[in-house]
Amino acid sequence: MSSANASSPLLWIHEDCISPTSPPFAEYPLAPAVWVWDDSLDWSLKRIVFVYECLLELPVAIERGDPVAVLQSEAERMGAERIVTVQSPSPRWAEIRSALRLPVEVLEPIPFVELRGTVDLKRFSRYWKRAQTPALLPGGTSPS
Amino acid sequence: MRRDFTDRDDLVAYLRHEFPSAAAIDPHVSPILGGRRQALGLLQQIQPARYAASRNYLAGAVTHLSPYIRHGVLTLAEVRDFALRRVANPFEALKFITELAWRDYWQRLYTAWGRGIALDREPYKTGHTDYADTLPPDLREARTGLACMDAFSRQLQETGYLHNHARMWMAAYVVHFRRVRWQAGAEWFLQHLLDGDPASNHLSWQWVASTFSHRPYFFNRENLEKYTGGSYCRECPARGHCDFEGTYDELSQRLFPIALDS
Repeated sequence: MSSANASSPLLWIHEDCISPTSPPFAEYPLAPAVWVWDDSLDWSLKRIVFVYECLLELPVAIERGDPVAVLQSEAERMGAERIVTVQSPSPRWAEIRSALRLPVEVLEPIPFVELRGTVDLKRFSRYWKRAQTPALLPGGTSPS
Repeated sequence: MRRDFTDRDDLVAYLRHEFPSAAAIDPHVSPILGGRRQALGLLQQIQPARYAASRNYLAGAVTHLSPYIRHGVLTLAEVRDFALRRVANPFEALKFITELAWRDYWQRLYTAWGRGIALDREPYKTGHTDYADTLPPDLREARTGLACMDAFSRQLQETGYLHNHARMWMAAYVVHFRRVRWQAGAEWFLQHLLDGDPASNHLSWQWVASTFSHRPYFFNRENLEKYTGGSYCRECPARGHCDFEGTYDELSQRLFPIALDS
């Protein structure tokens, strides 16, 4: 076992993975988890209430502030030597991830369809030509 | 932050106090409850086969799952797999699964374009360049005088939910009838929609605007009346003389005369 795996990681739960079945919980069921309210969000109250209700069903500490600073200090407080999270297309997520000084393990979200190679995204119809067959199969994967 | 609350009112009072700037954007709280338990309950109620024929109607068999999918409370894959178990033949769920695929498609574009989703991806095909930068106050305040748009505006701000067809009508109204750049409407939606996702939201607005489609999307009153069961038109003060009266050809001439000439 490498030294990076010696201690329990800190799970970073973000706005794309608020589920008890999310990959970090499945992979590290005993690890502590944290959510950080990012003050750069420009949401109305009802969105915050909805997400907060989702969070209350998870074993997650709910924090607020600058996500990088909070994740760093929470990891330090818990003796975690790395952070585990789920891939997100959000540029804000990428900024936070790259600013973290600790190693970050990024887990893939559960895919809708698995498409190999380059996918033409010029229009939905082109994507759908590739995706339709696996999309209609349980698990989203064409039998090989 | 706190995790223990006596009830929803207690939670809401706490969040109102902790997030005063969010409450200042809009103080309403949605009747839609967060959480996976709630999401799984809704998932049990989906009717994928009925969805295809009725989804464009405001009273159709839509699922209300989008806020949960947006935040990963449910994955697209598990919703699709559940839908497939509900039908005898996968093609009965084709339309339902196609709509799930739109989200997958938008997410793939978000990965490719990042903040570029907020820029016009292509020129408008409307013939116009003189779009206003800000949302008209009468729309935000639900006093356009159009019963449909005022109701949609209130519903958006009070509940954080709008039927997809209502979103399209509203986006077309903002961009093509009021000639406001799509970004102003998209940012407004994102503040309020519980399922507000930058990719799905912005790129759908671009699809309506024609900056990510071959032609602008618009509608006429007959279309709106049909899919709403006439509920707005019946009580509308602008009944018989609203902006949406006319055939598609007539509206196209009125809205996009320059594009049609060229």
